[in-house]
Amino acid sequence: MDITRAKIRDLRRSLDSREIGAEELCAEYLKRIKEKDKKVLSFITVTENEALQSAKRAQKMIDEGKSSALTGIPLAIKDNICIDGVRTTCASRMLENFVPPYNATVIEKLNAEGYVLLGRASMDEFAMGGSTQTSAFAKTKNPYDLECVPGGSSGGSAAAVAASFAPAALGSDTGGSIRQPSSFCGVTGIKPTYGRVSRYGLVAFASSLDQIGPIANDAYDCAVLLNVICGHDRRDATSARRDVPDFTEKLGEPIKGLKIAMPKEFFSDDIDPVVRTHVTNAAKELEKRGAVLVDCSIPGLKYAIPAYYLIACAEAASNLSRFDGIKYGFRGEGRTYDELIRDSRSRGFGEEVKRRILLGNYALSSGYYDAYYKKALALKQEIIKEYNDIFDIADVILTPTAPTPAYKIGAQDNDPVKMYMADICTVTVNIAGLPGISTTCGYTDGGLPIGMSIIGRRFDEQTILQVANEWETGFVPLSPEL
Amino acid sequence: MAVELDTIKHLCELSKLNYDEDGLKKVMGEMSDIIDLMDEIKSFDLEYDDTKDGCEIRFCDTREDIAEESAPTDKLLSNTEPSNNCYVVPKVVE
Amino acid sequence: MSAYFPTMGLEIHAELLTKSKVFCTCSAEFGGAPNSRCCPVCSGFPGTLPVLNHKAVEYIIKAGYVMNCEISRFTKWDRKNYFYPDLPKAYQISQMPRPVCLSGNVKINVDGEEKTIRINRIHLEEDAGKLVHDDVNRISLADYNRCGIPLIEIVTEPDFHSADEVIAFLEKIKLLLQYAGICDCKMEQGSIRCDVNISIAPKGSTELGTRTELKNLNSLKAITRAIEAEIERQEELLESGERVIQETRRFNEQAGETVAMRSKEDAHDYRYFPDPDIPPIIFTEEELEEIRNSIPELPEQRIERYVSEYSIKKTDADIIVGDKRVCDFFEEAVSEYNNPKAVANYIIGELMRRINLGEADMDALKFGGREFAKLVEYMQTDKISQANAKNILREMIENGGDPKSIADRDDLWIKEDSGALAAVVDEIIANNPKAVEQYKSGDQKVFGFFMGQANKALKGAASPKAVQDYLRKKLSE
Repeated sequence: MDITRAKIRDLRRSLDSREIGAEELCAEYLKRIKEKDKKVLSFITVTENEALQSAKRAQKMIDEGKSSALTGIPLAIKDNICIDGVRTTCASRMLENFVPPYNATVIEKLNAEGYVLLGRASMDEFAMGGSTQTSAFAKTKNPYDLECVPGGSSGGSAAAVAASFAPAALGSDTGGSIRQPSSFCGVTGIKPTYGRVSRYGLVAFASSLDQIGPIANDAYDCAVLLNVICGHDRRDATSARRDVPDFTEKLGEPIKGLKIAMPKEFFSDDIDPVVRTHVTNAAKELEKRGAVLVDCSIPGLKYAIPAYYLIACAEAASNLSRFDGIKYGFRGEGRTYDELIRDSRSRGFGEEVKRRILLGNYALSSGYYDAYYKKALALKQEIIKEYNDIFDIADVILTPTAPTPAYKIGAQDNDPVKMYMADICTVTVNIAGLPGISTTCGYTDGGLPIGMSIIGRRFDEQTILQVANEWETGFVPLSPEL
Repeated sequence: MAVELDTIKHLCELSKLNYDEDGLKKVMGEMSDIIDLMDEIKSFDLEYDDTKDGCEIRFCDTREDIAEESAPTDKLLSNTEPSNNCYVVPKVVE
Repeated sequence: MSAYFPTMGLEIHAELLTKSKVFCTCSAEFGGAPNSRCCPVCSGFPGTLPVLNHKAVEYIIKAGYVMNCEISRFTKWDRKNYFYPDLPKAYQISQMPRPVCLSGNVKINVDGEEKTIRINRIHLEEDAGKLVHDDVNRISLADYNRCGIPLIEIVTEPDFHSADEVIAFLEKIKLLLQYAGICDCKMEQGSIRCDVNISIAPKGSTELGTRTELKNLNSLKAITRAIEAEIERQEELLESGERVIQETRRFNEQAGETVAMRSKEDAHDYRYFPDPDIPPIIFTEEELEEIRNSIPELPEQRIERYVSEYSIKKTDADIIVGDKRVCDFFEEAVSEYNNPKAVANYIIGELMRRINLGEADMDALKFGGREFAKLVEYMQTDKISQANAKNILREMIENGGDPKSIADRDDLWIKEDSGALAAVVDEIIANNPKAVEQYKSGDQKVFGFFMGQANKALKGAASPKAVQDYLRKKLSE
């Protein structure tokens, strides 16, 4: 059976119709990973044994007629989501041998469905980066051009889906970490509304911004995964007490009369012309299909990068303080407690992680708190207000997902500022806690994918999925040659 | 330079991070660029009001006080080398 | 007579009597084998999240009400960041700008003088773990069982000027917290702990001197001694022209002196910021009212009730209410035998006397208020003589049991056996002609002698009243 860019819903049909067995399907993907992931390096760990065992269990469920949406569906899971008994490294030396004693809530939900864990997808260390090149173990490459980055931080998850190593994957998104790699790798990824998916078991980068979300071949499969992983969790006080709709419900409904806002700041000269052209053309196409394009502005965007990095790094500095080599993780040397934890942290963390910890502590330290951290929180309130104003006149917002297509590996090395600026299109969505989905809207002459983002009102994933799905109908994605 | 050497040293102290001399010079340069970027925020002049975040929960949505079984000690300690079922650190003097 | 006067403020930490910890579902009980009351959350594992315990918040609101605080309608939690091996997350979840309770006050009594101590704030936070130090292997062992036990921190204004005031306040707070059911206040188990900020200044001076903070004070006695030692130390410094440095000091019980502590954090910059994992809470007036109404009767109210309704002496009421265990025992007894005065008298006169003599332990009594009440009732209704009541109480203290079965077993009931009474009294009169003469010649004093003889011989077989009547009759024949 051809698993290239296979859709979850098609695999479901094949499994339930006994056209293929769960173990057989799992083996197909493992085989492809074995053959081709050497080039892409999308996995840190391939969990072959777990995969075959859970496939066996899944087949049993199917045979007993107990199969549901994801029974026997193989998935890649980003390496910062804790799985009981399965090494979870966050792509950091610090957690090279860390085996969590518990399951993340999303994993509990996937287990209940009888999913199949193929392996742990690579990422930027502790999800800090946009290239997956800060990974301590697998510096993933872009399946469309192995000399380019896959984006990040969920670069392993996006590359794995693009390369058909898995039909779908889970990633996490703090400032664009699902959407940007999805656009670089020509797949579809959604960051749900903050609070939609439980964060319990997601190793925290920035607690007020992090969300787990799916990366798949299209919006429909994203909806299928969302149906499983969303919902209130008593273990996460920030998870929303809201009913979860069937996210596939509105897919296919016409977008006639739907208002699409295009804030001018997202189409400035800082955005690569090739990206601007493709996103604008996509907008025109959607207009042809009945949508109404609305001009608007989001002035707060010019402060978005500092606001985002101050909030994210302040929280990260505190969240990553627990890594001291004593309870778990890399244990250095030292005659005193202070020497021991300094050595553990200095040798366990990579350079980018250290820079962000330093920045976070700078923003929080006495004398700087009001000027930086508190000011960033004021900006958060302003950005939320500006988005609310836009949603008074529009149903969704359309922007590029990234200022450029995938760039060459090494292009941003040793230039943190350049690296940070590249997040400009995605961070405000996290700051405002909104849902955002990235889907492919075209390719460069060199064949690199270009992504566009559709942003919705809080808890209105349904509408952005509907728009993405509308765009995807008739759009033919190119599969990478490997 | 937006940031003094002493500031960086203080940040390393707060962060419990060591750098050798060259490493310190390098990170100091990088932090200066980063902080220059962060300083753009200073021209924004609205004040933060923590009562206006709108993320509060109701008192009744807090967790009911029910004790459940704890995790197995050996499982919790499986990522380190414990002694007498405790985590081990060099002796701290008060 | 010193030329200086001391000024003190307190930071009191009290563990709340919740079933589970404040941010996870582990048991909040005291003790347990090392790391046996822990989970990934309270052990600070990556990816875990805190979920606030409703009861803990209810308790701190109660604490606020019993100390006359304002309760904030909007409250939130902050992270206090510092590295220490007893703090697995390397931050303590606490409250900085928006604590649950603000500006309250508590009245204390120091040798007849009433004084008001102002409460600055009360906030909710999590306790840290315990460290055991192994000098031989030069290691410290961390046990996280105590991590996440809910604590309230009560911060007073600098309103204390003597150790007596501090002790009086602590006694008062203990009672309030115990009667409100918020904390068991067992200092020896560390369920209530007190740090003292202390400074001295020349008499008459308006500004305060540099303060030091006294930590690890684990008994009221230690607190008094530590305060006195520290005042003396600071006086000597100032006298000899030196300065007091602001620092944290620990009390060395043996040496009876305070010593400087190694600071927890080399850089005391805790970088407080709102914990993004715990949403702020908004209280409705109804919720607060419900909690306020659920507060049980407090010490003052009880004393008041005992004096007015039970007509118990104020001093006796103070004694009973002064120990919640005794007070609960009293309440139980009165519910069995509705003669509060008699019960109170026997508790204070007999039971507490024996406890003070070390013959009994209030925490380990082998009988309850009901059994005790029965004993008092038998005595009051002349079913058992005072002497035998004492014997029965001793038996109950030593081996437990109820007074009835003990009286039955040892045959201690007053029988009102007129035959035996007559025989005994007649014999005494016969054997003491001289005394009889004295009585008849109007010397009433000897009557007591006859009573004593008779009771001794009867061993409580007849009630004192019966003996008295029969004696009078016979002597006047």
